[in-house]
Amino acid sequence: MAAILEAQKVTKRFHGLVAINDVSFSVDKGEILGLIGPNGAGKTTLINLVSGTLAPTAGTVIFEGTPINGVPAYHRSRLGIGRTFQIMRPFPGLTVLDNVAVGALFGTAGGARKLAEAETQAHRWLAFVGLDKRAGQRADALGGPDRKRLELAKALAQRPKLLLLDEVMAGLNHVEIEEVIAVIKKVRAEGISILVIEHVMKAIQSLSDRLIVIHHGEMLAEGKPQEVLTDARVVEAYLGRRRS
Amino acid sequence: MRLGYQLAIAAVAVAALATLPSWGSAVIVQFGTSALILAVLAQSWNIIGGYTGYASFGNSVFYGLGGYGVAIGMVQLHWPFAAGLALGIALALAFAFLIGLPVLRLRGHYFAIATLGLAVVMTAIVSNLEIAGRNIGLIMPLVKGDTWFYEGSLALLAATTLAVAWISRSRFGFGLIAIRENEGAAAVMGVNTTLNKVLAFALCSVFTAIAGGIHAYWITFLDPESAFDIGLNVRMIIMAVFGGPGTVFGPVLGAFVLSAISEVLASKVTSLASIFFGVVIVIAVIFMPRGFADLVRRFRQSGWRYFQENIRAHGV
Amino acid sequence: MQLLWQIIVNGVLLGGLYALMALGLVLIWGVLNIVNLAHGALIMLGAYAGYYLFTAAGIDPFAALPISMLVLFLIGYAIQRGILNLVIRGPMFNTLLITFGLEVVITYLAQVIFSADFRTVNPPYAGANFELLGATVPFVRMLAFVLALGLTLVLWLFLEHTRIGRGIRATAQNLVAARLYGVNPRRVYALTFGLGSALAGAAGTLYGVVSQINPYIGGALTAKSFAIAIIGGLDNSLNVVVGGLFLGIVEALTALYIGPTYTDVVSFGILVLVLVVRPTGLLGRTA
Repeated sequence: MAAILEAQKVTKRFHGLVAINDVSFSVDKGEILGLIGPNGAGKTTLINLVSGTLAPTAGTVIFEGTPINGVPAYHRSRLGIGRTFQIMRPFPGLTVLDNVAVGALFGTAGGARKLAEAETQAHRWLAFVGLDKRAGQRADALGGPDRKRLELAKALAQRPKLLLLDEVMAGLNHVEIEEVIAVIKKVRAEGISILVIEHVMKAIQSLSDRLIVIHHGEMLAEGKPQEVLTDARVVEAYLGRRRS
Repeated sequence: MRLGYQLAIAAVAVAALATLPSWGSAVIVQFGTSALILAVLAQSWNIIGGYTGYASFGNSVFYGLGGYGVAIGMVQLHWPFAAGLALGIALALAFAFLIGLPVLRLRGHYFAIATLGLAVVMTAIVSNLEIAGRNIGLIMPLVKGDTWFYEGSLALLAATTLAVAWISRSRFGFGLIAIRENEGAAAVMGVNTTLNKVLAFALCSVFTAIAGGIHAYWITFLDPESAFDIGLNVRMIIMAVFGGPGTVFGPVLGAFVLSAISEVLASKVTSLASIFFGVVIVIAVIFMPRGFADLVRRFRQSGWRYFQENIRAHGV
Repeated sequence: MQLLWQIIVNGVLLGGLYALMALGLVLIWGVLNIVNLAHGALIMLGAYAGYYLFTAAGIDPFAALPISMLVLFLIGYAIQRGILNLVIRGPMFNTLLITFGLEVVITYLAQVIFSADFRTVNPPYAGANFELLGATVPFVRMLAFVLALGLTLVLWLFLEHTRIGRGIRATAQNLVAARLYGVNPRRVYALTFGLGSALAGAAGTLYGVVSQINPYIGGALTAKSFAIAIIGGLDNSLNVVVGGLFLGIVEALTALYIGPTYTDVVSFGILVLVLVVRPTGLLGRTA
């Protein structure tokens, strides 16, 4: 299967601190790749390097076969990279519908041209995530799980080819997690490739086709979820060395 | 009320206002012209400040460039008014693109201070230019008939408001609003923030410059202090903010209401107009910081407690 | 060469006063996050305080400093306690607008009470000079310079080493935590604004000795103070001093080599440049 995204030897340095060190991985078209690692490992930094929010100090990010180093964030969205934010970024003063409409107006290949069309699309995506009944409410009036849904709908409205999800399940209960898993699977069914950062182990296990583990900014392991999660190094990274 | 209906009502109002010179006294026509010009300034500011969220304190530069374009064109180059106006617009656009680009990278109060600094710099530069008449300024040929200026200002206000109405329902406008609400999120969602900001700035520069040009020709006299009147910046912001920034008609209503009250007070006690603005600003920021629009909306729910709530939310 | 040295001396003397002018603004900005557009108006009031104490009560303007500072402290305290405290936790834009409103009101009242005539404060020693390595130094300017720097030092010591000063800094950094420690924010805020106003008043009194005053000087002085504050950097008093001296010297040099009508172009041009290129100021910490 062709890779839709490829990271080659990517490094990110912040003054003295090396946040990401020589990481290489790829996301195949149509797959769900899980990205896990202990807190502070650099997962969000890696996502930022892909979405264009940050520029790598070294290495190349390749999207659909073309290197995109130096391409600004808004243009990456036009190319087909969409993302959600861990610390959510709604447009607070706008309605839920308008929030998603922005995604429909802009986004892949420039987006819809007319507001009416964008609103129609927005309704569709709100229904997809189960938020349509709140379309007229102000975004800042939403509760936690609904905000996550909105974040997802906004990203989907951009019609991305690759979707980057940053901890969409944090703070959700079991039922809500199951719902989100179902939605993500629906997204993949639409033909969208997904890179998911997650802490909720059960969820990432059942969702991902493959897993990669980042620890201290470096690639620790990659492979099928079963293999990776039983890998001794991964266990040690999360739980610490067993004292005998 | 849907925008379509609002615009229809506005069109009727414009038609009504257009008849003013035929039944109003000279004083009223003059007051009307001033108010209309101020409304244009507030409405233009609305584009960059209200919709895009970049509170510019330097729109007086566009106003002055428009005025000097007309003055230099007509007095030094002996062009007709329209050519002078075109010069003013060209100068304003050049400024908006060249200076706007670096300055629009700044956020929040840094952007405000930078634009204020630019206003001071431009005033100082122009007061050193020979062709602009230095400190003394320029005097333009007198044109009889306030009616022309009144109708011209009215037409300009209508055009500016139509532009804002278009913005409010267009993809471009949504891009601006997205920038205002969360610039980082807008960027990753595909909004070319730099381009949009500069275009908004340029659009507002055009309308502001035309207003400056009309005003200069009307007053027939121009010097750096009056052309680049820095106090104008805050006045246009206050009118826009209390009318309702980011709305189509808010700034216009704000300009009309504040101008009218100022005029009434000025006729009662002449020197009071200057202090009026100050006192009103202070009271308004304390009791209705979110503008008339919000006041009207929330007053229905909370009544007099609305004012108390504002203080409790913003005070210590 | 001689002329250049004289210009530099002039610039430095002006710079000291500039530093004091900006100091109050920076204090209020740093602690209260209030961008005070009425700052120049407060300086103007300080100038008039010095003027009336001199002409009506015969008090030497330098000796009158403590009195004018006290007067301005009380005015500032009242403004913060009565008006600004009502909006301080709102968007910063609001404090900008409301301080503008205050500026308008204060200027108008000054014009009504003091009249629009130009005034100067001329103590008997106004014309006295002394020589400094070949440059003529007016005695009053030297004294103003020394006092300006002295007050800056006193302020710095106050904020670093007294209980109240530390309380002010703590409240600036973390309102919630400060409250838990028993700090009354209303009073701390009012105190801080009063302090900033007192400094503005001192600058005004000294300004009145070296320059003409009228009710309308506030606007230009506010703008100038902003330029100094931003160019130097908002972090601490030293930055303000550097900013003031820098701008004083730059203006003096501009007046000599380019022309006196260009000082605003250069000063504010540098302000815009600093904002675009290095917003934390010449000395500020990189963000």
